[in-house]
Amino acid sequence: MDHPPYDLDVRPILREGGEPFSAIMEAVAALAPGQSLRLLATFKPLPLFQVLGARGFEAAAREIGNGDWEVLFTPVRPAGPQAEAPQGASGEWPEPSQRIDCRDMVPPEPMAKTMEAVEALVPGQTLEALLPREPRFLFPELEGRGHAWKGEAQPDGSYRIVIRRGGRTEAT
Amino acid sequence: MAFFAVALASLLVAEGLMAAGYGFPAGAIDAPETLVVVHLVAIGWLSLLMCGALFQFVPVLVAQPLRRPVLVLPVLACLTAGLACLLAGFLQLAGDLETDMPFLIIGGCLLPAGFVLAAWVLGETLWSARPLVLPARFVAVGLACLLVLATLGSLLAHLRSGVISADAIAVRRGGLVPLHAALGIGGWLTFSAIGVSYRLLPMFMLAPDRERATSRWAWASGSAGLLAAAFFAPLELVLGTGTIPSLSLAVGGAFGSVALFLYGIDLAFFYRNRKRRQVELNIKAAGGAFAALAAAALLCAALAACGMLDRHVGAVVYLASFGWLGGLGLSQLYKIVPFLTWLECYGPVMGRKPTPRVQDLVAEQRDGPWFGLYFAGVFVATGALLAGEPALFRFGATATCLATAAIAIELVLARRLANVSAALRLPEGAHLPRLFVASLGNRR
Repeated sequence: MDHPPYDLDVRPILREGGEPFSAIMEAVAALAPGQSLRLLATFKPLPLFQVLGARGFEAAAREIGNGDWEVLFTPVRPAGPQAEAPQGASGEWPEPSQRIDCRDMVPPEPMAKTMEAVEALVPGQTLEALLPREPRFLFPELEGRGHAWKGEAQPDGSYRIVIRRGGRTEAT
Repeated sequence: MAFFAVALASLLVAEGLMAAGYGFPAGAIDAPETLVVVHLVAIGWLSLLMCGALFQFVPVLVAQPLRRPVLVLPVLACLTAGLACLLAGFLQLAGDLETDMPFLIIGGCLLPAGFVLAAWVLGETLWSARPLVLPARFVAVGLACLLVLATLGSLLAHLRSGVISADAIAVRRGGLVPLHAALGIGGWLTFSAIGVSYRLLPMFMLAPDRERATSRWAWASGSAGLLAAAFFAPLELVLGTGTIPSLSLAVGGAFGSVALFLYGIDLAFFYRNRKRRQVELNIKAAGGAFAALAAAALLCAALAACGMLDRHVGAVVYLASFGWLGGLGLSQLYKIVPFLTWLECYGPVMGRKPTPRVQDLVAEQRDGPWFGLYFAGVFVATGALLAGEPALFRFGATATCLATAAIAIELVLARRLANVSAALRLPEGAHLPRLFVASLGNRR
C-alpha cells in the first residue's frame, strides 16, 4: 500500500474518438501489488467497474466538473504471491482447450467442476465455462491459485468465464 | 458464523423460557417478562440471523463485494450488548433486577447504533449496485423499515424508562407498539426474507429466476403497505386521537395481503418449474414456513374481520415469528451452515483432491423428523394460544425447544464434518473449520 496511485488520463484518447481499453489494461498490468489506479475519463466508465471488479478492484468515482470523472480503482483482495500476475500478458490467450456447461448445476457444483477442469489443464491452456451466474466465490479461489480469468455476464443472466491456468501447480 | 451462533443460542433460551411458562400467555401480553421473550426472539434470534444472512447474501444478490466489512464486528457487538441491556432493563421493570443502571436507555441507544451500522454496510453495498435487481429492492425496503423500527424501538425504550413523558410527544405508547411490531415482523424481517428467497430458492431448485410481473407487483404492493405503516400511521397518531392508528394499519394490512398472495403465486411457480426434481431438506422444511406464513396471514385477516384481533394478536405474532420467520430461518441455516463450511474447508482443495458433496455434511434422513417436530410444536402452541390453554402452549413450546436443540446440535456436527466419511473428511491441504468464526470472510 506504500505506492502512490498510478495516474492515467484517458480523456485525450476519448476526445479523439479512440478506445482507451487497452491502455487501461496495460496500466493495470503494470501496477505494483496493492497499488491503486487513478483514472480520469470524460464519462463514468461503468463497464470498467465490472471488468476491474472481477479482478479484485473496488471503484470509487466522483465527478470533477465539465462532465469529467475521476475513478480510483483500489485493489481490495490481496494480490497473492503468484508467479505471474493473473491479468498479465492479456494478449496471449489460446483458444479454450476445454468447454464445460455448468448452468444446470446447484451451487457449489459449478465451482467444483470448474476448478476440477482447470486443475486438469496444462499451464497456459484455457478453459471456457458457462456458469449459472457470476461466481463470486470462485474469483478468490482462482486468484489464490494464480490463474487468470476473463468473464462476462450473458444476456440470459448466466456467466461465461474463460480461465487460463497459471504457471504454478500448488498454491501456497 | 458468530451471528448464527448467538442467534441460535437466543432462540433456545427464548423457547426454554416459554416452555417454562415465563411471560405470555401465563403473564400479560405487555408484561416486562413477555417483552424479555419477545425481544430475545425478535432481536437475538431473528434480527441477528437476518443480519448475518444479509452480510452473506447481499453481495450475491447484487454481485458486488460487501462495503465496509470492518463494521460487521461492531454490528454484532452493539446488537449483542444492546440486547443484553434491553433485557436487563425489562427485568428491572419486572422487579427482578435491582440496580440503578439505566439499562433500558443504554439498550435503546446501542441497538439503534448496531442497526444503523448494519444498514450502512448493506445500504452502501446496495447503493454501489444501482439499478437494483428486484430481490435487492425487497432488501432495500426491509432496511428502510429497520431504520424506522429501530427509531421507534428506541423511543419506546425511552418512554418505558420514563426519561421522555408521553405528553411530550403527544402520542400514547399503546399506539406505537402495533407499529413497532408491524414494521419489525412485516417490514424488516418478512420483506427482507422474501427478497433473499426470490434469489436463493430458484438458485437451489434450478428454477427460472427472471423477474416476473407478479414479483414486481408483490414488491410494489408490499412497499405501499409498509409505507402506510411507516409513514402514514405515525402521521395518523400525531394528527388523530392519539390511540391506535387503525386506518393506516388496515390499509397497510390489505396491501400486505396482496403482496403475500402474489408471493405465494411465485413460490408455486418456482416449485413447479424447477429443473431439480429432488428437493433437499432445507426446501422441504421451508415449505412448513410458507404454510405458516399463509396460515398467519389468513388467521390475521379472519380475526380482524371478526373484530377479535385484539384478543388473539399474540397467536398471530407467535405463528408469524416462530412458524414463518423462525421456521424459514432454521431451515435455511440448515443449508447455509453446511454450504459455508464446505466452502471454507474444501474450497482450497477442490479440483485437486476428491471432496464430499455439501449434502454429505448433514444427515438429512435423521434430521427431517426434527423439522417435523418443530412445526408440529409451533402449530400446537398457536392452537393453544387461540384456545386459551397455557399448559398446552408450554407443551408445544417444549417440542419446538427440543427440535431446535437437536437441529443446533446437527449444525455443530456439520461444522465439525462429523457426518463425512473418514476417507473424504480432511484431504491433504484442508483444515477443520473453527466452530464459531469462519475464516471465509477474510478472503472475500
